[in-house]
Amino acid sequence: MLVSLKNVNQYVSLEGLSPEEIAKKLTFAGVEVEEIRRLAGGTNLVIGEIKECVAHPNSDHLHVLQVNLGEKYGTTQIVCGAPNARTGLKVIVARVGAKLPEIEIKDGVIRGEASHGMCCSLLELGVDAKYLSDYQKAGIEELPADAPVGEENVLGYLGLDDVVLNLNVLANRPDLLSIFNVARELGALFERKVTLPKVETKEDFKTNLVVGSKTNRCTQFAGKEIKGIVTKPSPKWMSDYLMAMGVRSINNIVDIGNYVMLMTGQPLHMYDADKLAKAELYAQDDYEGDFVALDEKTYKIIKGDIVICCDNKPMCLGGVMGSLACAVDENTKNIYIEAASFDGASIRHTSNRLGLVSESSQRFVKGTNHFQSAFVLDYAAELINELCDAKENSNAVNYQSEKPNDERIKTSIKKINDRLGTEFSKEQIVNVLERLNFGLEFVNDNDFLVAVPQYRLDVTCDADLSEEVIRLLGLENVRSILPCLDTKVGMLTVRQKRLQNIRSFLLAQGLDECVTYSLVSKKRKDEFSLLNKEEHYVILNPLTDEREVFRTHILGSLLSVASYNVARQNKNLALFETSNMISKASRSEHLAIVLVGQDIRQGLLRKENYTFFHMKGLVEGLFTVLGIEPTRYRFDRFVDEGDELHPGKAASIVFQNKKIGVLGELHPNQIETFDLGKTNGVVLELNLEALLEAKVSETKMAQISRFPSVSRDLAFVLDANIAAGDITRAVKKVGGSYVVGCEVFDIYQGTGIAEGKKSMAISVTYRKDEGTLTEKEVNDAEEKIKFELSRNFKAEIRG
Amino acid sequence: MENENLLKLKNAALKEIEEANGVDSLNAVRNTYLSKKSELSSLTSQIGQLPPEERKSFGAALTEVRVAITSAIEEKMTYLKNKELKEKLEKEQIDISLPGTSYDVGGRNPFYVIRDEMIDIFLGMGFEVADGPEVEKDLYNFELLNIPKDHPARDMQDTFYINENELLRTHTSPVQARTMEAKKGAPIRIICPGKTYRRDDDDATHSHQFAQIEGLVIDKGINIGHLKATLELFAKKMFGEKREIRLRSSYFPFTEPSVEVDITCANCGGKGCNMCKGTGYIEILGAGMVHPNVLKMNGYDPEQYSGFAFGVGIERVAVLRYGIDDIRKIYQNDVRFLKQFKKMS
Repeated sequence: MLVSLKNVNQYVSLEGLSPEEIAKKLTFAGVEVEEIRRLAGGTNLVIGEIKECVAHPNSDHLHVLQVNLGEKYGTTQIVCGAPNARTGLKVIVARVGAKLPEIEIKDGVIRGEASHGMCCSLLELGVDAKYLSDYQKAGIEELPADAPVGEENVLGYLGLDDVVLNLNVLANRPDLLSIFNVARELGALFERKVTLPKVETKEDFKTNLVVGSKTNRCTQFAGKEIKGIVTKPSPKWMSDYLMAMGVRSINNIVDIGNYVMLMTGQPLHMYDADKLAKAELYAQDDYEGDFVALDEKTYKIIKGDIVICCDNKPMCLGGVMGSLACAVDENTKNIYIEAASFDGASIRHTSNRLGLVSESSQRFVKGTNHFQSAFVLDYAAELINELCDAKENSNAVNYQSEKPNDERIKTSIKKINDRLGTEFSKEQIVNVLERLNFGLEFVNDNDFLVAVPQYRLDVTCDADLSEEVIRLLGLENVRSILPCLDTKVGMLTVRQKRLQNIRSFLLAQGLDECVTYSLVSKKRKDEFSLLNKEEHYVILNPLTDEREVFRTHILGSLLSVASYNVARQNKNLALFETSNMISKASRSEHLAIVLVGQDIRQGLLRKENYTFFHMKGLVEGLFTVLGIEPTRYRFDRFVDEGDELHPGKAASIVFQNKKIGVLGELHPNQIETFDLGKTNGVVLELNLEALLEAKVSETKMAQISRFPSVSRDLAFVLDANIAAGDITRAVKKVGGSYVVGCEVFDIYQGTGIAEGKKSMAISVTYRKDEGTLTEKEVNDAEEKIKFELSRNFKAEIRG
Repeated sequence: MENENLLKLKNAALKEIEEANGVDSLNAVRNTYLSKKSELSSLTSQIGQLPPEERKSFGAALTEVRVAITSAIEEKMTYLKNKELKEKLEKEQIDISLPGTSYDVGGRNPFYVIRDEMIDIFLGMGFEVADGPEVEKDLYNFELLNIPKDHPARDMQDTFYINENELLRTHTSPVQARTMEAKKGAPIRIICPGKTYRRDDDDATHSHQFAQIEGLVIDKGINIGHLKATLELFAKKMFGEKREIRLRSSYFPFTEPSVEVDITCANCGGKGCNMCKGTGYIEILGAGMVHPNVLKMNGYDPEQYSGFAFGVGIERVAVLRYGIDDIRKIYQNDVRFLKQFKKMS
């Protein structure tokens, strides 16, 4: 909302207040001033008259002017490039030393001719180009013939000495979309008297116009007939104010419509009375069909749109746009003025659907005062009489289906202070509410009833009143006191703590933690959906097709991060992200990890490629941190149906007999798809739900044996496809209670070993808790192991 | 005569020990003087041939010589071994300028640095951490927060819809309604960090996905002073003890009165600079007293209970604290960006 301070000053005196002070006060009271804009600027300006205009001897477009600046400054020479410079023209001159918004004027010589100043266009004074005609923009400003030569208050003469505040009117204060209400607000804030125009009802004849509404979406419809208007340009004061408030002047009657709306907040519509078939206007919302609007375009009206009909034909799309059929034009003589109240939601749907959002529709959407039509029509009529030479005014006709809400709010001094944490006195509170035109009636010394002015649509309960009090008395008066509440232990839940531990563990391992977008494209939504294929949530109104579907897996996004980094020469990556995944079937916390390139934690001298086993180790570490023993989960071979993972280097993680995760090296095709370069990658996607909810037992100390252990190595050759895990598990099983550890320390295939075979070496650790093991006890256990290996695994023991 | 020979022997040995310059040559000396074939050994074996009265004193003399030579050799041996070790170690000098084995931690996206730190601050004040779905019902995101269908405030938050009744939450405030529903009228002290979504084009200061931390306190006798003090404490912990806050009136449909909270500019300390556009303050969050309608709709009697709520943008705090010039950097995850955030707090 643009507010001209010159305009509002007519209704509340702003004397002695700088625009900055006004802006600050409004901002702290909840009406943020986004910009303070001076309409135009410039010092050392004077009105001059071109006495002589000759072509510049050394230029094909410049003129050399002799300009009379009045008695004080005499006549001076100025070189000017404007095509419209000519003898006799009254112009704005910026004298030497003038500071204009963009430039400073200096004494100079232009192509050999002295120039002591500049003739200005309004653009050069900083006037927004949108208010200027092409002619004005192309040359210097042409002042009227009666412009006073020598006048130094040029901005004042031009009506450009105004300051405009741009108010960010929030949804609760639609009343401030009216200058009169802004004046009331300023009056309350600065404790100054507000004088709004007093209008008289002029009634020369009784109108035949009948108004009404056939829908509850229009609760009020007032009309007035005015005869004998003459359309012509608006006077300067009107076009100046409109310009300041961001509206271009068209002609007197259109301008009055806009001006009255800006002043009162009530949008008006005017019909050419002679173009209507009958003297009737009805609001209805059941019309369906085409509508040719003022802009000569045809719009489809559907049920629910509020339409003003005459003789069952649509004459106006209520609050949005009038029809071409009854539009006011330069030949219009007699008019009907409409001041109605329409349901905001309907106007919102209609204007959004048709793309016809206007100052007028916005006011209906945000809310208007339904009970000021009599005043508004009189105010409009007065302006029309004055500016359009109208001859006769009719009475006003009004349809109104609702009564003003005269319910008063019950509150008390204590309640207001309690909510605010303040100790304002009764006098202070009463003073504030009365400044805001609230009607107060005290029941006793504390309790009182409040009547809210009709235009304050936002005040409906006592919390609203406390807001009025504090925004005027100042939030700096609120004492800061920490609440005294029951002492509670602030703690994360087990689930939250586990998630935090998982993240801490991975960070401690040197992995970088990422955050990526939850919305992905339709095309890529199924990428790396390694865990499940649940139905995605799809956005109904996406901004781009890149962000259209809520993801159910993180990996696709994290691989894109890897791709982004590799493209920027960050080639060795260890990344992870935890995020909540939502599908139509479930909601679960996921973890994804991507390792790309080499593990360079030990420097480039000892780097190694990331492999499946780096990822497996991270997963095992994660389970350890969560307190889940290796016996509670397992890795199963995972063969990807597609080409996302390397078919021989992938596994699923099985916990509580459910596949909760998949890890594996990237398929070479994916390295290519994600542009990861000549490298390798390992990925993991893990659904954390089962882990976050898992029962985990408390750690109990286990006795550490006092007796020494013995290690023995065994080497054997067996079929290449036998898994090492099966061997170590079997060793522990058959070796008896003395076997406390078994680890593979060498695997070899190649020269010396038959095709399809491999050599494996294991180290077995034996210990007895009750005493030192004897040679025989170890030998016996080892024999059992050897026997098992050769019998069940067909292993050929080598030593 | 014998003693004189012994003395000569001893002196000759000591001289050779003195002259030995390596472990090997010293071992040779030891061999010459102390082995079974040495003169000393042969003298010892001849003791029995001496007259009994001389045996004792000669024996003692022999022992004395042997001990003297042995200890001299040992002393010299220690000296030589140390010397050799020293020379060996000196040859093993490493290039200490080569990089250390990395025990480095990963970089934490500043999003998480701020989020985790904020959680810590509020846990310390006895808050619990609540959670809610990112795909949310219109009911919780709007209706129960005093934003009915067609309320103009819905235009303030352009929404991604799934269908008529489901949407991506536009703020973390639905967790207020969900928590009130779950707590069934009991006092509440929660924060809720979470991702939120709005139909905004991504640019340096806007993101279609961002995160907030919602705070909600409901109890008897809660007022704006409590809100102010809580946020003051938060601001000082988050931005430094010297920071001050100020409140400005504002509007949110679910709070009344509503306030915007500004913090003194970290760059100029409140004097006014480019960063704060000369005002000395920077807006950090929105807050207010829970609207009586919201309390009522969610099962709390506004005559008995009151509460405050606030919502802080996590990225906004990160941007202010670290001087991040483009919010998109948070979501790009360039590791050169991430690795700047390793400091533990």
